[in-house]
Amino acid sequence: MTLAPLRAGLLIALFALTLFVRESADRLRPSPPATTFDVPPIPTDVARPLSFGFASVGADLAFLEAVQVHGGRKTNRSERSEAAADRALARLVRYAVEMDPKYRGAYRFAGMALIRHTTDGKAVNVLVAEQILQQGTRERPDDWQIFFNLGFIQSYYLGHMADAAESLWRASRLKGAPKYLGLLATRLAADAGDMRVARALAEEMVTRASEESTRAEWDARLRDIEMEERARFLDQAVSRFRELRGHDPDSLQDLVRAGILREIPTEPHGGRFLIEDGVVVSSEGGRLRVRGRKGTQAELEVR
Amino acid sequence: MGGLFPIVGNTLRELARSKLFYNLVLFSALLIGASIFVAQLTVGEWSRVILDMGLSSIEGVGVLLACLIGVGLVAGEIDRRTIYPTLAKPVTRATFLTARYAGLALILAANVALMLGVLALTLRMAGSHYSPASLPAALLLLIELWLIAALAMFYASFTTPTLAVAFCLSTFLVGHLVSDLRAYGERSKSGLAKTVTMALYRALPNLELLNLKAQAANDLPVPEGFVSRAALYGLLYAAVILLLAIAIFRRRDLK
Repeated sequence: MTLAPLRAGLLIALFALTLFVRESADRLRPSPPATTFDVPPIPTDVARPLSFGFASVGADLAFLEAVQVHGGRKTNRSERSEAAADRALARLVRYAVEMDPKYRGAYRFAGMALIRHTTDGKAVNVLVAEQILQQGTRERPDDWQIFFNLGFIQSYYLGHMADAAESLWRASRLKGAPKYLGLLATRLAADAGDMRVARALAEEMVTRASEESTRAEWDARLRDIEMEERARFLDQAVSRFRELRGHDPDSLQDLVRAGILREIPTEPHGGRFLIEDGVVVSSEGGRLRVRGRKGTQAELEVR
Repeated sequence: MGGLFPIVGNTLRELARSKLFYNLVLFSALLIGASIFVAQLTVGEWSRVILDMGLSSIEGVGVLLACLIGVGLVAGEIDRRTIYPTLAKPVTRATFLTARYAGLALILAANVALMLGVLALTLRMAGSHYSPASLPAALLLLIELWLIAALAMFYASFTTPTLAVAFCLSTFLVGHLVSDLRAYGERSKSGLAKTVTMALYRALPNLELLNLKAQAANDLPVPEGFVSRAALYGLLYAAVILLLAIAIFRRRDLK
């Protein structure tokens, strides 16, 4: 009987020793490679059929994990210090859309949350976000936000203005898209230098417009495009003048006097063209440009 | 078919008292309710996660119910020898099996309806509602459960309860892989492999035809005429399996 407390004490001590040894072993355990934490260990090609009809739940789980990783990712860090989280995030979102290619929310998330601006002047996950969104436009051609996000990345980060114009144009034709998207598409097309695309987009919008106010808006945009076309024609004439005379013309009439132009084209809005600091402008409004772009909008090293 | 309705009623009463049934139903309801908390971990996809988890819970628990109870209703009775008093009455084996199946089918339908109610409540609490494809998805899910129940009866008609449950669950898993089986057969260069895989493809139930969960979760339209065609396929397949089960059960020596 007297041995009973001793036995109990020994048992407790043994259990405490077990806990201590476990803790120390845990501390000494080699850290697993970071990549194993990125995505579930089963490739989607295998996981999809083996989900036995529950693939969309698998996609949800990967997406939920991506949201958690995104929440824990620090934004004001260098490329290297958050590289593991960036990589995990990209792979999880890709996993989600591979498990369920129709996963609208995951595509939108890829467009809005995947890219990170680093403190060393880079934008990471841009290319993977673009790839995921490209897949999104094929799988969910009914969702304007996917096209919009793609268009934003193409214009802002990649400087692919013609592609961005097309993405925004396709977005503008979908249900629920805001009205300004079509206008933005024409602006981007004009900025990409493709006035024919800009004009075609605007002309189609005029024919598709069911409301008078919308048609008037697009008629106005057509006049903007016409103005831009004529301004570009004048730009070329100014360049020619510069080549011949070695300085900028004082006014557009100098172009006529120099024999480069027969006459100054009319301004479609009813105003007139001017030259300011060697640049052709209209008295009626700004030219079709996306402001602040130099190389790419972001002026970041894109990864 | 004398004695059909009393046995159906008896089966319903029996199942309504089953602890297994209540436990699984409660588990399913808890899973659906818990989806609202899981959904809060996501961004902008609340209704998708709730619908996905809800429909998957209904299916998962429904399949367990169909297999475990379906097998128990026939093989369990044979195992416990409680089938003898019933068959001693003027009731054919076909009537017995059909009535047992009908009782189980009704309980499965009631379970799906109840769980859909819980799911609707959960969606409402999250400020959302069913997507247009949700109810067709639930209908096809119920037909899938009826098909699984028919398979459970079929396996139970000739083997032990443990093996019957194993076969039933395996057929459910394989039923979701038959499209890949076909793809494998088409890619194979061996003529024999092609023949065998295509034969299996045609013989096994294609349960992916009855799976509209992703459509419902993604709020996608369902092609016109698909639901009726898929439902007809599921019901016909279940009928064929049930007739096979009856044919085997008639010849089975129960001594």
